[in-house]
Amino acid sequence: MDETKNGAVKLSFDQDLGIATLTFQMSGKANMINDEFGAGLAEALAWAKARPGLKGIILASGHKDFCVGTEIDILYQARDVEELYRRVRAVQAAYREIETIGVPVVAALTGSALGGGYELALACHRRIAIADPRAQFGLPEVTLGVLPGAGGTQRLTRMLGFQVAADFILQGKVVRAAEAKEAWLVDELCGDREGVRDAAIAWIRSNPRATQPWDRKGFTFPPPAPGTADARDMVLVGCGLLYQKTAGAFLAPQYALSAMQEGCGLTFDRGLEVEARYFTKLACGGQAKDMIRTLWYHRTAAEKHEGLPSIEQLGIEQGISTVGVLGAGMMGGAIAWIAAKSGYQVVLKDIRQDALDAAMKHCEGLTSKRARHLDEVGRRELLARIKPTLANEELKGSDLLIEAVFEDMDLKHRVTRETEPLLAAGGIWASNTSALPITPLARASQHPDRFIGMHFFSPVEQMVLLELIVGRQTSDRTLARALAFCRQIKKTPIVVNDGYGFYTTRVFSAYLMEAAQLVAEGHNPALIEWAARSAGMVIGPLQVFDEVTLTLVRKAVPHGEKYTGRRLASEGFELLKTMVDDHKRYGRAAGAGFYEYVDGKRRHIWPGLGQVVRATPERSGIDLIISRLMLAQCVEAARALDEGVIQRKRDAEVGAVFGIGFAPNTGGPLSYIDRRGIRTVVRELEALAREQGDRYAPPPLLLSMAEKGERFFEAVDQAG
Amino acid sequence: MADAFIFDAVRTPRGIGKDRGSLYTVRPTDLLVTVLEALRERTALDTKQVEDVVIGCVTQTGEQGTCIARFAALEAGYDYAAPGCTVNRFCASGLQAVNQAAAQVAAGWADLVVAGGVESMSRVKMGSDVGAMFDPATQWKIGSVPQGISADLLATLRGISREDVDTYALESQRRALRARDSGKFDRSIVPVRDINGLSILEKDEYPRADCSLARLAELKPSFEMLGRQFGMDTLTRKVYPHVDRINHVHTPGNSSGLVDAAAVMLIGSKKKGRALGLKPRARIVAAVSTGDEPLLMLTGPLPATRLALKKARMELKDIDLFEVNEAFAAVALTYLRELGIDPERMNAHGGAIALGHPLGATGAIILNTALDLLEERNLSTALTTLCIGGGMGTATIIERV
Repeated sequence: MDETKNGAVKLSFDQDLGIATLTFQMSGKANMINDEFGAGLAEALAWAKARPGLKGIILASGHKDFCVGTEIDILYQARDVEELYRRVRAVQAAYREIETIGVPVVAALTGSALGGGYELALACHRRIAIADPRAQFGLPEVTLGVLPGAGGTQRLTRMLGFQVAADFILQGKVVRAAEAKEAWLVDELCGDREGVRDAAIAWIRSNPRATQPWDRKGFTFPPPAPGTADARDMVLVGCGLLYQKTAGAFLAPQYALSAMQEGCGLTFDRGLEVEARYFTKLACGGQAKDMIRTLWYHRTAAEKHEGLPSIEQLGIEQGISTVGVLGAGMMGGAIAWIAAKSGYQVVLKDIRQDALDAAMKHCEGLTSKRARHLDEVGRRELLARIKPTLANEELKGSDLLIEAVFEDMDLKHRVTRETEPLLAAGGIWASNTSALPITPLARASQHPDRFIGMHFFSPVEQMVLLELIVGRQTSDRTLARALAFCRQIKKTPIVVNDGYGFYTTRVFSAYLMEAAQLVAEGHNPALIEWAARSAGMVIGPLQVFDEVTLTLVRKAVPHGEKYTGRRLASEGFELLKTMVDDHKRYGRAAGAGFYEYVDGKRRHIWPGLGQVVRATPERSGIDLIISRLMLAQCVEAARALDEGVIQRKRDAEVGAVFGIGFAPNTGGPLSYIDRRGIRTVVRELEALAREQGDRYAPPPLLLSMAEKGERFFEAVDQAG
Repeated sequence: MADAFIFDAVRTPRGIGKDRGSLYTVRPTDLLVTVLEALRERTALDTKQVEDVVIGCVTQTGEQGTCIARFAALEAGYDYAAPGCTVNRFCASGLQAVNQAAAQVAAGWADLVVAGGVESMSRVKMGSDVGAMFDPATQWKIGSVPQGISADLLATLRGISREDVDTYALESQRRALRARDSGKFDRSIVPVRDINGLSILEKDEYPRADCSLARLAELKPSFEMLGRQFGMDTLTRKVYPHVDRINHVHTPGNSSGLVDAAAVMLIGSKKKGRALGLKPRARIVAAVSTGDEPLLMLTGPLPATRLALKKARMELKDIDLFEVNEAFAAVALTYLRELGIDPERMNAHGGAIALGHPLGATGAIILNTALDLLEERNLSTALTTLCIGGGMGTATIIERV
């Protein structure tokens, strides 16, 4: 077997069949698109072309995955548009070379093909994939603020039409093998690697003159064809649906739709240019940088627990096999379910049978909805791992007890005293609380060193974040074991120091309370909602209020005052009190909150709000509201960093984006401050503090950073 | 009646109007946005003051449908109050837009108007708007043939030979190349850039440095088959019963080229110019359109020129320079011969044979070229005219101030 000079591709030629197999096996753990890949591909294709009697080519992978896309460092570091445009065009040309080489080329997808890796497969005449449920396919580029730049917007659209291609490209949808086959992202599925190879050979032999549809004379675009009134209507609806999702805050899917629509009206080769231009614009722009930093680098670091203690490092051998969950409410039930799904034996304890019944019913629902990969037996086994009980004794010997009872210090203390002794020797205690500080909670504990805060987010089965709170006495060993559990249940941790509301709840409250304050000042509620979404916030604050209930926030404010000693009362809080106490507008579940509900469906802002709020703001407008909503959160994040609650800047970003739906397009509150300019932000905060009070006062950290002209993160885009 | 003045004029380079052309990847709206933005920047224009954006565009379908003038103005960031109007007078649309703007100003109905044209022939194919001109009903009543047939009929009637048209074409190429390569067009050209600011095209792309009489002579007549085998020549006998054989002299080498481009100019009253601190470059002295026999189609510039001179109370000798659209070489030769003009004073920087004819934009482009030439040569008056489908002609006389 030959090899390319850089060793990226193993080359073999079967003389009997006339088939060259180019097996990508780049240095490192995965095949990804970079200079090594580019050189390897070019060399490999030239080598294949030079084989006498060449009848076909198989592109294969020597790694687990086929190819996982562009090396992110290249994207993140790119700032010279001219140079990046040239590089993108070179990749496009290399891919073009594959599909026009004159013999059939088959992509042997023995593992995941994502982004540029799937685009590589698209440049082949046929995609044959392994029917491995772990293998994933798709074009997730927009989730990092860019778009498929190696022909993906052009090939997939010409292959599957606007609607299907938009579905995948604009949402960055990634699917497993079976669904990929159903959607024609791949042409054929085979059981194993050998099967894939055999099928590839068979296809080459029966399609000796394979070409791409768009290179054939008389190619007809999957209807509706570009330029027709039908296509115009479909693209218009595409714009509308996209805007419903993004509120215009995300550039990548917008440019992707432009690239699809404009490029597909042109010849294939020139359509690629259009795609490359939009790609370059995005990749060198600020939004992609901010998104890549948080959604890739910081998220990956958090997932890898970088810089955090581990059981391996500390030589902890004692594992966790049994988990007890105290309290079978919404949270407790779901926590029990994900623990069971991850293989733990779980005891779910409550003092009420009806709560346990409801929780088990919820777990059954989750199993049928979210454990589809399991067969009937697997599902039954999953549910059997959860043991609901009214008896404390069943908890005996648990390695981990997760307390998920009401947010009440006394109650939590009582539960701790009662059940902590049931822990296995050396077992750890975790309190699932969204705000109560851990150190005072641990006062009821005999082993405060083995006591930790574990803030789950609702719905537990969907939210990837887990906020771990280290109390004053929590040991590194306890943290390491909690992290091991976190990894097992596939959550992404942030680790913060103690303090009321920890990190996420503080920022979240700032968002909600600022919105309430804005409403109380008389700003248009509909404008507040849209302002938030157009800034990228996942859900408008008044809608969030209704979901988490106004009642909860109304109770939380005096709590917060008690624990922080900060005065939190405001016109916004007064409004909340009136809404809850006088008008019984508790939230969505009650069918009445900031919004009106008809048959459980949200309709419009409660018209009565106009009577409750009589104030008229001196100035209003979308920019003012965006500034208030975003800066209120950012200053809280900066404070948490300043106070040492946040120890790693990445946690501020990951926590906000994955925990509370902070605008992902911005990269998080610290990135947002960087982007707006730290000096500008300080100036704005000082002005707001004068007008609105201390909640806007910039913390010393921001003042000193502004003075020194520092940033939270290194500037990587052109604008800086 | 008030006077209408040209304050400034800009255009994009003309890109080859095929799928290999540089501007093929650029939306026609973006071509127009490019010049609208450049005009605003060059004249420090407060677009709130703009009372209309009149844009010539011939093939108003596909990406050039739905009033491109309005959407380009909006995309260029012009004030909402600056409306848009897209006009079609076939090949003279760009000049028609200017004339209309001038008329609005002259009438006192507007004081500041942006006028120009756009056509992306690579993206929106000529004739893709279909239309009624070749309907049988039209045919039986009036007679209607493709322009190339008319051009060859014109050559036949005027005794213009293949050698005549090729010689003319070669000279057009020579002049265009000289002008382009010595930077004569630079003053008015705005490069077309992509979304990243990277340059897509900076100079006119169509002229051919490798042109020669021998090579021109090798080219096959474009309309011979259509004329002789498919009956088009015969259709002309409805009006020209005596022409029993049309001499098909026109080839791609001596006809105007398909290109993509956009152009705009700022037109307004003296008062408005003073108020905005804009210095007029020229006054629009006359702006006319007229018509002639539609089957022969291409002789419109002659009556249009006579009409313009009459309206301006001028004579031919009062005109220093002529810009006549080279739709086909026979059109330009007919104009030269009929009016006895010194060839040096007509299309001094070449014409559409070498530079291309972006249908809706050409009128505004060649008027711009005429204005630049007057300033370059320190002359005073120029007449710009185009032949038009359906037998029409449009002409504009300008005078430097």
